[in-house]
Amino acid sequence: MSLSQPKMSVAELKERHLAATDTLNNLKQRLNHTRRSLLDTDLAGYARSQGKSPVTFGPTDLVCCRTLQGHTGKVYSLDWTSERNRIVSASQDGRLIVWNALTRQKIHAIKLPCAWVMATAFSPTGQSITCGGLDSVCSIFNLNSATDKDGNLPVSRTLCGHKGYISSCQYVPDEDTHLITGSGDQTCVLWDITTGLKTSVFGGEFQSGHTADVLSISINESNSRMFASGSCDTTARLWDTRMASRAVRTFHGHEGDVNSVKLFPDGNRFGTGSEDGTCRLFDIRTGHQLQVYCQKHSDNETPPVTSITFSISGRLLFAGYTNGDCYVWDTLLAKVVLNLGSLQDSHEGRISCLGLAADGSALCTGSWDTNLKIWAFGGHRRMI
Amino acid sequence: MEDDERQQQEEMSTENGTTSKGTEKSNSTHNHNHNHHHPLAQAAGSCSFPGFFGKHRMQAAISHLNNQIIIIQEELEELETIGESSTVCENVISSIESIPDPLLPIRTKGPVDATWDRWFGGGTNNSRSHKRWI
Repeated sequence: MSLSQPKMSVAELKERHLAATDTLNNLKQRLNHTRRSLLDTDLAGYARSQGKSPVTFGPTDLVCCRTLQGHTGKVYSLDWTSERNRIVSASQDGRLIVWNALTRQKIHAIKLPCAWVMATAFSPTGQSITCGGLDSVCSIFNLNSATDKDGNLPVSRTLCGHKGYISSCQYVPDEDTHLITGSGDQTCVLWDITTGLKTSVFGGEFQSGHTADVLSISINESNSRMFASGSCDTTARLWDTRMASRAVRTFHGHEGDVNSVKLFPDGNRFGTGSEDGTCRLFDIRTGHQLQVYCQKHSDNETPPVTSITFSISGRLLFAGYTNGDCYVWDTLLAKVVLNLGSLQDSHEGRISCLGLAADGSALCTGSWDTNLKIWAFGGHRRMI
Repeated sequence: MEDDERQQQEEMSTENGTTSKGTEKSNSTHNHNHNHHHPLAQAAGSCSFPGFFGKHRMQAAISHLNNQIIIIQEELEELETIGESSTVCENVISSIESIPDPLLPIRTKGPVDATWDRWFGGGTNNSRSHKRWI
């Protein structure tokens, strides 16, 4: 409809608006119904029919092999380097710490200009880190630069432009020059770090984007032009960085904020974790919801999921919850095979973030108890 | 879905148009079509001055709804040929089983990557006792 039709009355416009809203709602219902009818099986049902049995762990198989102590406030975010054993963590104490996870050594402790940090990430080469939070900007630190007279690492670049908090950030793989942020202003942005400017804005006013805060993003390692986002609008969306005007696809199903999204190792699916207490696995090509991961906890509650990641093959789905549990799900059979929250040396508070080492040999969890913990497999691997 | 509706209603309900979403678009249209949408001409017709801003916001909201309709129609068309979930599940299984995973209690034939056990002080298979480092 052209905006320059002069004679349309307010009443007529209201009628058109109502009609369009009706049409949209009917179509959405039809879409829901059609999608449900195409779900002839979920992943667990299919895997069972193929004779797959759940992963079983002995009591001392997956263990906490390191505790990284040093933060004095809640840990909100962590990220591993793509090689070696370093981790960067961000805490409410207003600091980033770069750790050698193997030796537990603190390599850098960076005092931030704004203490309210919510997200941090390592660059692909490991030479820079970025962070952002309630200040609505992304600060970049070059780890090779000289410290200032107070011993602090200076900010080498500030990415300004978001109109809301930065909830998540990730460098585009294979280059230190671009990163993507997710924000409380309902948009995601692709930044050119060398110029400090926005390359693209995904969503926003009058675009087909999220209609509430973006809480999490995850870039496809095998196709870095593709990334997923999760939002308070209960949807996850898939984006192609070459087309910012609308999401490639919107994924419905969750009944609460989508707090965490993570691309599946093969790059053809992604997982989500939500305020509604469930995780889900979605297929990118078809849009199908392949599996729901839901189990009541020991107190008969379904606490919100704060953060998820997959093991390197995708067979395990790690999910942190607000009650301190960290379930290890068998992705194929949708069964909880272990709870890291109930093991010896587990965290004493909510698990707010998790991440897998680049070679898949360890999982790092970050918690409101101010610690990070490293979990690895210390048992016997059965040959099959 | 409900969020979209709420958003449209918010866009429609604000009268003065100073800070809400519809403002930029309605201002630019106002500049191009002032013959028809000049406030005085409007006042002579059925709409009062505040109603003028409401109309443009409504038109923008309708446009936005139509865009969403098109997107869903495209998706419905796509679903006619997309196939059921079972066709995808086999791919998921084969992709999982093709990647060696250090955190699983199983391993396939072939040399084990010794660095997987560096967390327990080993670079070799020999030191794989149940050591725990805290």
